[in-house]
Amino acid sequence: MSLLDWRRTLSISRKEVRHVRRDPFTLALALGLPVLLVTFFGFAIDFEVRDIGLSVHDQDDSRASRQLAEVFSSSGFFRLQKAEDPGRLLRELDSERASAVLVIEPGFGKDAGAGRGASAQLILDGADNTRASAMLGYLPGITAAAQARLLGSAPPQPARLRTRFLYNPELNSRWFVIPGLTVVVVGLLAILLTALTVAREWENGSMELLLSTPVRPLEIILGKLLPYVVLCFLGAGVVYLTARLGFGVPFRGSHLLAVAAGAMFLLACLSWGLLISVATRQQQLAMQLSLISGLLPSLLLSGFVFPIESMPPFFQYFTSILPQKWFMIVARGEFLKGAGVLDLAKPLLALFVMDAVLITAALKRFKRDLEP
Amino acid sequence: MSAPGVEVSELVVRFGDFTAVDRVSFTVERGEVFGFLGANGAGKTTTIRVLCGLLLPTSGSARVAGLDFSDGGKAIKSKVGYMSQKFTLYPDLTAGENLAFAAGLRKLDPGLARERTRELLDFIGFTPALTVLVRDLPGGFKQELALAAAMMHAPEVVFLDEPTSGVAPAGRVRFWELIYKLAGAGKTVLVTTHYMDEAERCGRVALMRAGKLIALDSPAALKREAFPKPGAAPSLEDVFVKLVEGADR
Amino acid sequence: MNRTLLAFLRKELMQTLRDPRMRVILFIMPVVQMTVFGLALSTEVRDIRLRVLREPGDSAMARLEERFYASGWFVPAAGGGETDSDATLYAPPGGFRRAMERGEGDVQLIVDAVNAAKARAIEAYANAILAGFLRSGLGPGEPPPAIDLDVRVLYNPAMESAVFMVPGVMSMILCLVTIVLTSMSFAREREGGTFETIVSAPLHDWEIILGKTLPYILLGLVDAALVITAGVLLFSVPLRGPLWILALSAFVFIITTVSVGTLISTIADSQQQAMLGGFLFLFPAILMSGIMFPVENMPPAIAWVAHLDPLMYFVRLLRNVLLKGGDPWVVGSNLAVLAAMACGAAALAFKRFRQTLN
Repeated sequence: MSLLDWRRTLSISRKEVRHVRRDPFTLALALGLPVLLVTFFGFAIDFEVRDIGLSVHDQDDSRASRQLAEVFSSSGFFRLQKAEDPGRLLRELDSERASAVLVIEPGFGKDAGAGRGASAQLILDGADNTRASAMLGYLPGITAAAQARLLGSAPPQPARLRTRFLYNPELNSRWFVIPGLTVVVVGLLAILLTALTVAREWENGSMELLLSTPVRPLEIILGKLLPYVVLCFLGAGVVYLTARLGFGVPFRGSHLLAVAAGAMFLLACLSWGLLISVATRQQQLAMQLSLISGLLPSLLLSGFVFPIESMPPFFQYFTSILPQKWFMIVARGEFLKGAGVLDLAKPLLALFVMDAVLITAALKRFKRDLEP
Repeated sequence: MSAPGVEVSELVVRFGDFTAVDRVSFTVERGEVFGFLGANGAGKTTTIRVLCGLLLPTSGSARVAGLDFSDGGKAIKSKVGYMSQKFTLYPDLTAGENLAFAAGLRKLDPGLARERTRELLDFIGFTPALTVLVRDLPGGFKQELALAAAMMHAPEVVFLDEPTSGVAPAGRVRFWELIYKLAGAGKTVLVTTHYMDEAERCGRVALMRAGKLIALDSPAALKREAFPKPGAAPSLEDVFVKLVEGADR
Repeated sequence: MNRTLLAFLRKELMQTLRDPRMRVILFIMPVVQMTVFGLALSTEVRDIRLRVLREPGDSAMARLEERFYASGWFVPAAGGGETDSDATLYAPPGGFRRAMERGEGDVQLIVDAVNAAKARAIEAYANAILAGFLRSGLGPGEPPPAIDLDVRVLYNPAMESAVFMVPGVMSMILCLVTIVLTSMSFAREREGGTFETIVSAPLHDWEIILGKTLPYILLGLVDAALVITAGVLLFSVPLRGPLWILALSAFVFIITTVSVGTLISTIADSQQQAMLGGFLFLFPAILMSGIMFPVENMPPAIAWVAHLDPLMYFVRLLRNVLLKGGDPWVVGSNLAVLAAMACGAAALAFKRFRQTLN
């Protein structure tokens, strides 16, 4: 007696395919949604902070103070405006009219002319960390530019930094966003698609019917997973084409490796959904659990936007339970770095272990329900 | 109180081009058990939905408990109890909570609701505890509880849309005893069913075919009419096969 | 109170709260998730793994390297390979000091730019460190700078990530929970056949829709109180504005999301569609909220979508009230937009619900 009978497994798959085909909304969503979301957010997401409102309160009104303000505006990052009510400068920030206020006190021009070290005050809105840290990052460059502008010539620089950016020399944030977005969207879809499959059969009683046949649990589990693996692969394939052709993201690695890792990743996410379905046996709860366990963690903890290296050590380990974290490393490695099997040994191994654990857990839980 | 329970004349319901109910007329007296038969899509459920105030007729008139549709069906809804073919209780609530919700839907006074609950449970002979989740009740009890929920507001007319589908035979017999008890208490009962033995138990049955009413009489009279030869003992099923063939011709 | 509404309230709360797993989802998960995200997420780029390639005797370069580690941004890379580091610093050939004296002390920095934003930050930090190094006199004499910017960061002077992230995470969680609770409500009644029972009672349409939404607005408010309290207590996020404005904003926001969820549930034919519909709303709403990336400089063709995102307005409101004390204009305008959205979503849900009746 073999472990599983492929004919029976495939007949379960066929039934699931029929179910999906009868629901064109789900089918369209599975195929179209990844492309739609990746395209849309590929255009939308840009981490560069530009067009920052800067209110200038120039009490000095000298040539030097005007030059200083000009340096800010010509940096391209700031949009200058006059402070509305000099008496209440903080209101500029409170009312979100500006994200920074530049206060130049009388005497600035005189000090600068005399080379005494003229000082101006810059107040930043710290309520939005992203913007505040971006501004702090721009400041060294702006100070240097102001120095050069006000003193007429750049001071001799004994040492300079020459930076070369690897893998993404033009710092195109799309190259970073799109592989990550693909991982998040396809992974979530995989979880959501299978989350209801088993719960639905329990709810409408067809599970009892299925169990009265000689089909085994493993055959049911695999039979249900297979069609969704194919469906998600199709969705991912379309996203891949969009990324390459639409956004010109390079692909420097091996397609074979990417497909193999992708299959492992999809299997992990699908089993995650299936585990929820098997454990809840109730559609509403399955939906709630899968959205709550899937959506925010895979957006926030996968390294998609917030770097895992910046997290406290405990959370760097904690995030390892997310398949998204591992496949994110693979996807970025394959797209941008041309990483080989050896470079990706750890994430590949992690994905493999997750597949094994999640499928076993789903199977075990499922078998437990079958015992009288 | 002389108005009949249900009075339908020349009732037509159209959905776009499709005529679901085509010029149907009949009258059901108070205290009568009236059966509705026909294949799926013959128009039984649509007729019942109109009589429950859930659908407005395209033309023709219908009066339920002496009331008409002049207010969009709201008055009718308050005189009618409806138990649809789908199971209409919340499986994740207890028996008591389901009845309380039914009472709340009808805005019953809490004291009155408690009294009605006691009466109805007594009436249907409900023995399990009220704190049992409906999902854990045996099938027959669920159906009886659904009937109690539909009767919470003491309706004059009760519509039962395939109330016994999926219920074990013993449960069906018990349920029909309840139906007779209702009729005995002066309620007008309209039942749709697939089961011929249940149709035999109705005072009169109406047979629908493609939206039309093709026969209406007591089961015995229908048999006599279709098989007039003395000594013939046709089943009601034979009668309907013959009637349907006749209508199709 | 209207008896029908009361019955609905009791029924929906019973259905939601009876299952202990639901109580966990509703009351424990939000706090757990907020704690995890609040502790874990940081917008700051820290612990950049740096590799320095220099000759053993290059003491100037060694001092520069020390300054990199002392800055707190950089840590020494553990392995020697290129993949083990985020950035590599190459000393000029022949020693850093000699190169500086020649006036060509170019230090090369190679940055892993897979994450473009992080790469940009690394470059900025490195530049600042080098400038500080040169000024400190460790390098050959340079006049003190003629221009000095005295920078002060307001509202969150230590730039703590939690203070920034927690209000954002709060709103994400509220949005998620309310949508997840409501997006199946009518779909479930219809699949279970109980919808018939409800519509066969002589009720006004508004009684039904209020009955199906009011309990979830209440639950949403309880959750809002929970996450806001947890945020303020656990992460010492300041509460500088009046509490009632916070409560009002949460109320209006929850009405909006509950209405959107209900709208989804009236459109969906099955629970599966309801779930995918919920996802279809949640995913863009969260991404566009301004928490994960700046929404101000999106291309205009796309920016209008962000302006339809209730979450974006709520995040702005929350940040303004919590950190800045609630500026009347910001609170007023964002609240007005949210209120308009709440009315719009509620009206749409109601309209759609009436359509399904016929």
